[in-house]
Amino acid sequence: MIYLDHNATTPVRPEVAAAMGRVLVECPGNPSSVHAAGRQARQAVELARGQVSSLLDVLPEEIVFVSSGTEGDNQAVRGLAGVAAARGRPQIVSAESEHPAVRASVAWLQAAGHEVGWVPLAEDGQLRPGALAALVGDRTGLITLGLANHEIGNTHPLAEVVELAHARGALVHTDAVQAVGKMPVSLRRLGVDAATLSAHKLGGPKGVAAVFVRRGLDLPPLLAGGHQERERHPGTENVPAIVGFGVAAEACARALPAETARLGALRDALERGLGGIAGVRFHGTRAPEARSPATVSVAFAGAPAQLVVIALDLEGICVSTGAACTSGSPQPSPVLRALGLSEAEAREGVRISLGWTSSAADIEGLLRVLPEVVARVRAAARVHPAVAEPAAVAKRAALARGGDA
Amino acid sequence: MKRERIVVAMSGGVDSSTAAALLHAEGYAVVGVTLKLTDATGTAASIGGRCCGPRDIEDARTTAATIGFPHYVLDETAAFREAVIDEFVAEHAAGRTPNPCVRCNEKLKFGPLVRFARAVGARHLATGHYARLDRPAGAAGPVRLRRAVDTQKDQSYFLFGVAPELFEAVVFPLGDRTKDEVRAIAHRFRLPNADKPDSQQICFVPEGDHLAFVEARGGAGRSGAVVDTGGQTVGQHAGTHRFTVGQRRGVPVGPGGEKRFVVRIEAATGRVVVGPREATAQAELRVTDVRWTAGAPPLAWPVRCAVQLRHHSAAVPGWLSRPAPPVIEDASGAPTGCAVQLDAPALGVAPGQAAVFYADDQVLGGGWIASAP
Repeated sequence: MIYLDHNATTPVRPEVAAAMGRVLVECPGNPSSVHAAGRQARQAVELARGQVSSLLDVLPEEIVFVSSGTEGDNQAVRGLAGVAAARGRPQIVSAESEHPAVRASVAWLQAAGHEVGWVPLAEDGQLRPGALAALVGDRTGLITLGLANHEIGNTHPLAEVVELAHARGALVHTDAVQAVGKMPVSLRRLGVDAATLSAHKLGGPKGVAAVFVRRGLDLPPLLAGGHQERERHPGTENVPAIVGFGVAAEACARALPAETARLGALRDALERGLGGIAGVRFHGTRAPEARSPATVSVAFAGAPAQLVVIALDLEGICVSTGAACTSGSPQPSPVLRALGLSEAEAREGVRISLGWTSSAADIEGLLRVLPEVVARVRAAARVHPAVAEPAAVAKRAALARGGDA
Repeated sequence: MKRERIVVAMSGGVDSSTAAALLHAEGYAVVGVTLKLTDATGTAASIGGRCCGPRDIEDARTTAATIGFPHYVLDETAAFREAVIDEFVAEHAAGRTPNPCVRCNEKLKFGPLVRFARAVGARHLATGHYARLDRPAGAAGPVRLRRAVDTQKDQSYFLFGVAPELFEAVVFPLGDRTKDEVRAIAHRFRLPNADKPDSQQICFVPEGDHLAFVEARGGAGRSGAVVDTGGQTVGQHAGTHRFTVGQRRGVPVGPGGEKRFVVRIEAATGRVVVGPREATAQAELRVTDVRWTAGAPPLAWPVRCAVQLRHHSAAVPGWLSRPAPPVIEDASGAPTGCAVQLDAPALGVAPGQAAVFYADDQVLGGGWIASAP
């Protein structure tokens, strides 16, 4: 099997699995307990917090462990919007290309009475110059923009966004789920107020994620309960998963920045190969400094992505049509729609994403079968295409009406 | 040797699951696919499982996982709404009695399924329909659609409108078997849905209440008078969409207490004409939008055949001839209608239903019963 869907999830690193196994067996305590078993578990959690915070170049106390990237986005966006609204700043600014967890959180806030501004994007997925400045005013409380887009891999110039926001008194959150581990990320240097990342996108286990929240800034909990995570995430910590997260973060820190260059070279080889297929179209910017090294969004004109993905699956190759969170839905990719693509074009978008296990052999394997698969799907799409027959239907209706009269 | 790949369309019911199990056992590399046709909530599927709702998708997925082959879902809800549901509502509004299952086969199902099969490199698409497709030896001429061996379960009536081009890629593994055999096979394979009841209702209508469904979508016909065949008003009704030709329900009895039936529905005026059972009998009818299984109209007219006018009625003998004007033409300008003269008058000939023409057990073609001239 060739796995090229790392933006959906990436395999657990062996050292992570080993560490988690050890914790499950040897570290049975609850970090909140007063006794030795509790202290041991607490120590394991704090070690992991240090590993994660150092990958992000922030303080350990600024890391809150949560259960998923979606939960982290909800807590950060909804929580900080509430904090800002309490200061008389009810507006939230985001982009329609954001992950569903962010878009749905913003929609939730809108339903709750917040004002929302969607910043328009250029055709390559980048912010239009001046577009953000035009939207952000003295009612803006929170800007949330992803660090690397989950479908097209675009990065936003977060440092500039932060400069603008802070000058106007607004907070900035970034969904960094698809960036962390694949490119060097210093949240301290970016200056964001909050960020979300997820363990299973960087070689850790599923079921654990983290919110970074700048020291001194309040992050209200989503749930009521105990005092864990400095009152920001009640519930007994998922100790083995948190430990795995920490080990994965440390492995990423060791691999970067060479890993970024390695993935970028693989991506470039992939795109060179894809470029040889007739009717190919790439989505998102191609400027290397403005994109993740791990994500390629591509379309083959006349080949519905759903059929390309299934046909590749049956050849043992895993890619996807878009966010795993939305791929079961009938809507064409909202990300591609936000770039101005038509519905039909958006239904042709295939996402190929790389991660720590990806190799040149994976790329070669994909490129070996893809041209034939695309040709087959294109030919299939031309078989008895669904044609509306308005003329025939109208005539039949007219005749029937004549008969009735 | 590499196993031949075959796509099986799975509705979640016992028939298509058994078809898949049989092909898997024969050594094919089966790929299951289910069309998602209706939305998650508020439809029949969520209240007990008809064809192609979320619960049926789960059933299909479970069967595929149990037997051990890949299964995919293709979302066709938008196309289904347009091609089937909207038309179902419009036909009711026009005072006709639509047959959405025929329409679904003709306009929707087989196109995406055959395209799917081609896309994944499968030569054939199999479905769980009870019908047979004969392929002439040496590939001379188009495939011929025939009734199933199990005449009680035969579904050829529903399939007449499928384009011959699509049928080239289709096989019906259950066409030679009886329903009892199929259930027995399902039990032998221990299929999780071996005892699932057959679907009876229209898949997209919740709780079988098609009137409420049609009304909620603006398909209600005019209310008006119920008149007898002499033009005398004998009652009032709440909308023409509530009636079909031959219907007794909602029709007032005659002055002597005799049963009366719907003879004709006049959507334009809102009148529903009723009369004794024999008044609903009709030997002449017009059929529009005719499809010929052979791909082209017959060379010699008139055509002797048997005509089936509803799913659960027997085909009756008659003649087909070219229609008198006005003649409907298809996109290429060829006439697509024909006139039917039955040997004996038939009851309950409802405009909007399919009329399917048979020579013995072979489907020659079919079309849609037009409103009376």
